[in-house]
Amino acid sequence: MALWIQILPGLDKPIYAQIVAQISENVAKGELSPGDKLPAVRKLAAELVINPNTVARAYNVLEQAGLVTTKTGSGTFISDPKLRTTDAADINMLAERMDTIITRGINLGLKSGDLVVMFKKRLEKFANRQKSGKKKK
Amino acid sequence: MKETVLETYGLTKYYGGTLALDHMDLKIPRGCICGFVGRNAAGKTTAIKLMLGLLKPTDGSAKLLGCDSQNLTPAIRQRIGYVTEGHRLFRWMSIANLEKFQRAFFPKQWDDSFFAEMIEYFELPKNKKIKHLSNGQRAQVSLALALAPNPELLVMDDPTLGLDAAIRRQFLEGMIQLIMQQGRTVFFSSHILGDVERVSDRIVVIDKGVIRADCSLEQFREAVKKVKLSFSDCPPARLDIEGLLYCRRSEKELELILIGTDDEKIKQWADSAAAIKYSIVKMNLEDQFIEFTAPPNHKKLFQWEKN
Repeated sequence: MALWIQILPGLDKPIYAQIVAQISENVAKGELSPGDKLPAVRKLAAELVINPNTVARAYNVLEQAGLVTTKTGSGTFISDPKLRTTDAADINMLAERMDTIITRGINLGLKSGDLVVMFKKRLEKFANRQKSGKKKK
Repeated sequence: MKETVLETYGLTKYYGGTLALDHMDLKIPRGCICGFVGRNAAGKTTAIKLMLGLLKPTDGSAKLLGCDSQNLTPAIRQRIGYVTEGHRLFRWMSIANLEKFQRAFFPKQWDDSFFAEMIEYFELPKNKKIKHLSNGQRAQVSLALALAPNPELLVMDDPTLGLDAAIRRQFLEGMIQLIMQQGRTVFFSSHILGDVERVSDRIVVIDKGVIRADCSLEQFREAVKKVKLSFSDCPPARLDIEGLLYCRRSEKELELILIGTDDEKIKQWADSAAAIKYSIVKMNLEDQFIEFTAPPNHKKLFQWEKN
């Protein structure tokens, strides 16, 4: 499985949140597809040299977000997107993160039109990557 | 409630007239890796030595695996591993002799092949005497000696002090490997907060002999916050905000260190105090530790501002 997680202690982001962010990104890019199995908690903990409870906590957060489902005895799997719930708070957070990008853009002297064009281009690029990610399977 | 493997009750130690440890109450549950952090001379080594019964407390008591620290039986000692600060080993012994010596204390559970594997992995010369080894090699021997009896409770006093990044990582791996087994617990002190963050799920913070925090690492990460506020005029004199640990004032600014105050409350307070701007400063574990243990009227050392 092409799941590479990189941990950096000493960031303001806690380690469990780093795992959550990286797995979420992998799912969004299509590098992890529904039904893919995540490494076992203990295996990932040993590999990354972090506390197993930290990995368990990350998987828990992912499960609460509906991104993965845990089947007792067989492991943790990427869930079906149809079954995922969207939380208003998550969407709110996403909107706030967009603000940071908009601020940077305006400070660089870009107009809103430029930003929209840039955003569309990035979306297309992302969609292409998603397709090629799925083809590999 | 999980079973506790390490408990202290009002544990206190004076050295002459100097108070080294002040009524320490701790409860460490089974199955965790607990990072024990504090500045130099905060009382970490004293606390560890008292827990292990190597020092007599002035007051209070400690229990390891349910047994009083001052009366640890050989049977209890066999279930505990201890790595001393600076890895003090008998210098005249060879690694092989030291293993033989140490094994005698753990007759039932010493894992010969595991010890041999580790010595081989570390590429240590088995017949060389301890005094001819480098600091790093001595630390590796000490790690192998601590893990070979597969201890139920492993206590380590600043085990990675002065070690290179690779050997430090071996210690972290050793802790993770041990904790993977059911019911194992690790309690270790360290100044390297990146290491603590990596392997711990629990943290104990000690400052000037007083326990300041004993909680899950995640709780600590979420609780300690720094907020900067700026005002058009003088900041308010009265700071009635929940969870305030201390503040730094300057002409038109306030810096608050808060414990457990949620972001919504911070916003409300900033509004009610008529701040023109406020922000919650992002901090890593090291920043949080420094702010948390900073003295109340702490000023930065290198800061020449007009007041």
